[in-house]
Amino acid sequence: MNNANDEIASKTIDVRGLFCPEPVFRTKLELEKLHIGEKIKIVADDPASEEDISRWVNRNGHELVSVKKADNDLEFVIKKAK
Amino acid sequence: MTTLTSSNLIERIGNTPTIELESFSTRNVRIYAKLEWYNPYGSVKDRAAYWMIKNAEKKGLLKKDKSIIIEPSSGNTGIALTGIASTLGYRVEIVIPEKVSEETKNILRKLGATIHETSDDLCPRVGAGTDQSIALATAISKPRPDLYYMPNQYENDANFMAHYESTGPEIWKQMAGNLTHFFTGCGTGGTITGTSTYLKEQNNNIKVIAVQAQKNHLLQGLRNFEESAMPELFTRRQHVVDSWFTATNDESFRMAKELASRENLLVGPSSGAVMASMLDTAKSIDHGVLVGIFADDGRKFKSLYAEQHVFNQTEYERLIRINEYLPETACPYSYN
Repeated sequence: MNNANDEIASKTIDVRGLFCPEPVFRTKLELEKLHIGEKIKIVADDPASEEDISRWVNRNGHELVSVKKADNDLEFVIKKAK
Repeated sequence: MTTLTSSNLIERIGNTPTIELESFSTRNVRIYAKLEWYNPYGSVKDRAAYWMIKNAEKKGLLKKDKSIIIEPSSGNTGIALTGIASTLGYRVEIVIPEKVSEETKNILRKLGATIHETSDDLCPRVGAGTDQSIALATAISKPRPDLYYMPNQYENDANFMAHYESTGPEIWKQMAGNLTHFFTGCGTGGTITGTSTYLKEQNNNIKVIAVQAQKNHLLQGLRNFEESAMPELFTRRQHVVDSWFTATNDESFRMAKELASRENLLVGPSSGAVMASMLDTAKSIDHGVLVGIFADDGRKFKSLYAEQHVFNQTEYERLIRINEYLPETACPYSYN
């Protein structure tokens, strides 16, 4: 279950209109700029992003706080963990 | 370091020397190498890069001071495109696998490229290594055609034409038509198809030997066509190849070492592979004149050669110091 407080991201990145692997690549670049513990929101519309971003975040030791679907959009909130 | 301008660039690309490797030649089998690192950005890829950019300009695909040229590359094409495109007034973004050597990344940065580094976990379903870079460069350029142009050396016929119009005629002229076998390494297939098509038009008896790398190789610029798909550019004219040679890492490095000790040449690993192929053929013929493409020199491979125990630092520095075949180019090497 998602806690609304968990979803306050310090920055939102819109990667709608972009397709694999660019949404993951942009996510990676933005996470590199954050401090540990900070969160970022990614808004994507490539259906493959759900699997790609989730897998990449988990494999790289960060925390996927939430994934929301609204119409064709996917909203990821990610916490930098290392 | 040599500085180039848009007006003197074309005069500097091509017309690279072809030399006889006298210590390897015998009375009846002569062995020659075309030294492609005499190109301004240090490799055979200057030809393809220049032809692809000029072809895109002719087609109206590039706008000065606006267009960004983006290309996936693990080395020489990225360097050549960045140097030439920057000279001609275009911004360049190169997409490279993160495991590419720091020497190559430093050269790209010094020449002014924006580098995007890919890792194999970005999108595993597109493949590994350069395949990730191809996917990302495509993903960035495709939705933004007004801003980005991706030459795509793996499909672009200008890559073939570069060698059909320059490398092939140069070899024919330099050898005065006197050659029996032609050898080159294979990556995109541009060099082998373009050069061989021209040479076979002059003399259809010339044998063409394609050199590929072993699987899981360390030979930058070469591919192994069992682990990587053959690029479309190559499959279109694969018929020019008469036979194949698969070079191992070990024999390629051994040949690089022999070329250094016997000819004072500091070559890149793919030239070692081509040399291994030439000597393999030389053993099996009574008479012949063999010409091979040496795609780049060893100035980008200091760390690789140290790791693979090819040259230690003292040997490497000595080779650079004594080598009469290492011209000053526009490529900002950092081997010291």
